[in-house]
Amino acid sequence: MARVKFLCDVERCIDCSGCVVACKEGHHVPVGVNRRRVITLDQGKPGEKSISVSCMHCADAPCIAVCPVDAIYQRDDGIVLVNKKTCIGCGYCFMACPFGAPQFPKGNVFGARGAMDKCTFCAGGPEEDFSAEEKRLYGQNRIAEGKVPLCAGMCATKALLAGDADVVADVYRHRVFQRGSGVNAWGWSKAYKE
Amino acid sequence: MQRFVYSLFLLTLFLVTGIATVAVAQEGGALASLSVGSSADYYHNLMAVITGNWQEYGQMFTFLQSEWFWKVFLVIITVVPAVFFVHYMIIGAKHFDHDGPQIYFFSLFARIVHFIAAISFSLLVITGLLVIFGSFFGGGTFIRLARYTHLVSAIVFVLPCVLMFFMWLREMLPQLHDISWMFIVGGYLSKKKTPVPAAKFNAGQKMYFWFAIFGGGVMAFTGYVIWGMGADIETVRLFAIIHNVLGMGIVAFYLTHVYMSVFAIAGSLESMRTGYKPKEEVDILHSLYKYEL
Repeated sequence: MARVKFLCDVERCIDCSGCVVACKEGHHVPVGVNRRRVITLDQGKPGEKSISVSCMHCADAPCIAVCPVDAIYQRDDGIVLVNKKTCIGCGYCFMACPFGAPQFPKGNVFGARGAMDKCTFCAGGPEEDFSAEEKRLYGQNRIAEGKVPLCAGMCATKALLAGDADVVADVYRHRVFQRGSGVNAWGWSKAYKE
Repeated sequence: MQRFVYSLFLLTLFLVTGIATVAVAQEGGALASLSVGSSADYYHNLMAVITGNWQEYGQMFTFLQSEWFWKVFLVIITVVPAVFFVHYMIIGAKHFDHDGPQIYFFSLFARIVHFIAAISFSLLVITGLLVIFGSFFGGGTFIRLARYTHLVSAIVFVLPCVLMFFMWLREMLPQLHDISWMFIVGGYLSKKKTPVPAAKFNAGQKMYFWFAIFGGGVMAFTGYVIWGMGADIETVRLFAIIHNVLGMGIVAFYLTHVYMSVFAIAGSLESMRTGYKPKEEVDILHSLYKYEL
């Protein structure tokens, strides 16, 4: 079975944050919760680069390892999902995650964190596919519809790639062969030579 | 004429060197900006920005929480009671004459404070263990409720904790005879009723007291930060480790206290209800305690 992967091409990302907005709007993510964010380094200086970061759907995910109630699980295709009905909002996954992916909406009781929310790779959750409950808790299930995740689908510069890891790697490798990367990819002439 | 040619030559020289200098400077600047653009450097910086110093406490927390914490807690809540069970079978409970003269040992105020502390502390230990073994209970509403109860109990526990500290501070100060108490483990390893060196509180109670007061303070502070994520992520990770490790010691002491009061000394729980201890018990277990009949 294919394994899914996100890849953000830093030579193409222009920090438009369209992926962030698409994700928030498409899944009706509450205010204060960001399943995806864009990080920019060296802003305003030559060599400025941006990258879009969300849950990396790690192979050996630390969040799954630390969850005290086993609310987080991994599908065969590598997508890491959370069962919000099992989650107790303890925040251990946030402490274990190197990428700050798990997010917590404010709960109602004593300012307690609500159930963890994170990038689902647009694959919904443990509820039945396309059910109202799934949509309410986790947002759209575009993977079950056969579509790529919203963020990658709408990325204007196609910097953000998502899908079968082998195909994503092929697309990126092809790009690097054509334009170079890092130092070699810098500048207008490289982009418009052909 | 010669002067004119000479001036022109100098002017040209100035212009050429000037332009060359500017060009070199610009070239240098452009190259400098390019040199930081190496992919390896970029990703190195990027990972530092995205993941922070995960290797320090993040990795440690992930390893400890996934591999060790629940195992150690499981060992504590099985081995400690098992040892006490063996003790109960071999040596058994200490029985004292409850029909004889009684000594007023705990004031009403002390009993109320201790009662509040006992309830909230027990809830803290139980709900804490419920969260640690949350997967066993399937998580969800039940464990979420345990987490909320953990917070409420912690807030309630702070008050009796402070009161007990001032109420029993003098009697809980370590004394020389506590060392000899520890050498004979309070006389709990023999069936004989020989007076053990202890005043109002024995060395075991004192250890539990100081552990609960200072450990409780650390637990309250780290727990408060963990609850609200009220610090940077590195600190929260470290506090989560401290909270769990300290919790192991507190659970062990808690189980000991429960065994002593409920099983090891028959009828000892009554003294926390009525305030009276049998004279015989005081003479043996708190032989240095001065009382008036």
